Amino acid sequence: MSTTFNYFIGFSFIYILMAWAIYLPYRVRDLHFLTVATMAVTAYFSGVAAVNWGWPFYLVLISGILIGALLSYIVSFLIGDVPTFTVVIVGITFIFITKTVIENTDYLGGTMGFFAIPTVDNILLIMTGIILFISYLLFMIDHSQLGRAASVIFADKKMAYSLGIKPKRIGKLFQTISGGIAGSAGVLYAYFTGSLFPDFFSFHLVGTLMTIVFIGGYSTMWGIVFSALLLGGVPILLPSAVSSWKNLIYGVLLVSVILIKPDGLVTKKFLWKLKNKIKGM
Amino acid sequence: MEIVLAQIVNGFSLGSIYVLLVTGFNLMLLVARIIQFAYPQFVVLSMYASWAILESTNNIFLAALAALISSIILNLLSEPIFRRINNRENVDINASFVASMGLSMIIVEIMSHSINNGFPVSFPDYWGGKNLFSFGYINLGRGEFYALFGGIILVTIFFYLLYHTHYGRVFRAIAESRKTAKQVGLAVLKSSILSYLVAGILGGIIAILFSMLLGSASPWLGESVALKVLAVSITAGLGNLKGGLYVGLSLGILESLAVGFIAGSWANVIAFVLMLIVVLTKPEGLFGAAIE
Repeated sequence: MSTTFNYFIGFSFIYILMAWAIYLPYRVRDLHFLTVATMAVTAYFSGVAAVNWGWPFYLVLISGILIGALLSYIVSFLIGDVPTFTVVIVGITFIFITKTVIENTDYLGGTMGFFAIPTVDNILLIMTGIILFISYLLFMIDHSQLGRAASVIFADKKMAYSLGIKPKRIGKLFQTISGGIAGSAGVLYAYFTGSLFPDFFSFHLVGTLMTIVFIGGYSTMWGIVFSALLLGGVPILLPSAVSSWKNLIYGVLLVSVILIKPDGLVTKKFLWKLKNKIKGM
Repeated sequence: MEIVLAQIVNGFSLGSIYVLLVTGFNLMLLVARIIQFAYPQFVVLSMYASWAILESTNNIFLAALAALISSIILNLLSEPIFRRINNRENVDINASFVASMGLSMIIVEIMSHSINNGFPVSFPDYWGGKNLFSFGYINLGRGEFYALFGGIILVTIFFYLLYHTHYGRVFRAIAESRKTAKQVGLAVLKSSILSYLVAGILGGIIAILFSMLLGSASPWLGESVALKVLAVSITAGLGNLKGGLYVGLSLGILESLAVGFIAGSWANVIAFVLMLIVVLTKPEGLFGAAIE
């Protein structure tokens, strides 16, 4: 495989994981941008663990997932059942804090970046395995009682309380799982790129992930796969003169989708129709 | 002590700008029911418009007019987008936030690719750079002076109009209950469009004062300001106009004091950490949210 195609696949996978990490808490209307800060923490942890401490890849991966989940659990414990925009600002604040700490810490390379993270054989294969595992996990959640409870919370939180559903508890669980997913994305990103720069983990990444989630569709997990390939991966294949305008294209697409198809391109109804069509063939 | 005083004076000037921005943001939240994340980007683009006129004409009146007109046009142009979102059966305020994020991305890209080759722009000294008053470490430049007193005057006028005029009362009634306002025959749509116009005028004046205060603008300025405006609004209580006034001013002072005593980018973090503590302990904001 050519290097460009490798990058296309690798970045698409990382964007899929990160977009899923935003998708899951949004099932209960939590726009949880803490995932970006979590990704930064575990990416830099991977760098330090691999380069300075000599830890093997799988130990770093498991530790990264646990760190991500733990960080998200602690924050979700503090967040409790706050309104959506409070969750937004908590996430953004953590991104700011994480980025500033990295930029001002020489041990982490500061603004210059952290380099020489060793490569791992078959990283794309490992990524594929993780994607398959997480897609299975999310599929099971979506098709369980938990997923149905989340749909009720999304539609009407007061109704959910009346039905005995516990939005706070489900929110905490989803945020913790989402932290674990973001943690794995951070580790894979570090090993895949081999170098880390604090500027990557900024509000721009939030914008890209929001575009992927809202264009793909936030009511199912599958639209994200399609939009991550299109919006996260394809710009890598394009000439730099075109890809440098990608944020403008994202912005236009985001506004257009919200106006024309607010649920995103792939909705539950769309999947249901598709399923029926395939059955009828 | 002199340094502290100097930083407090700077903080009041910066805080006045935050107050104006939060007021415009909250006005659209209350009357038009939108989270207008792109509002600070409109302000920055208007700053660019005044810079472009200054570069070509050196005329400060034309430059000020350019900022005002471009801000009004940008705000009014965005109105049909948000109206379409709000006209849906199940209005989702998150949708307006996401759409405004899209608008914000478009504006940043235009500024970073097409204006001044993406480099930050500098305003000439005669725009706001002259020093008016010096006492020890305390320097009051023209930019600080206009931002401080312009901000105070503008906020006073705004609150007077809001509490003592017919349209002000209509705005407050709609903010209280959009449904009831419609039932008693208030022109909700007209008032909503008017709120964009008022926010546009406010944004234009903010662009003038902010460019005088900072002396420069960059494509990424709006992004950091937008995050602060959102943070201030949530810390004060979403849509709480008076709360926005106190918290906006406090943020300006806090940030200036932090810049005076703490190195580099840590200053921004201090303000965010304090706001984080507040929103985690009081999720409805310090003064209570005016909107759910």
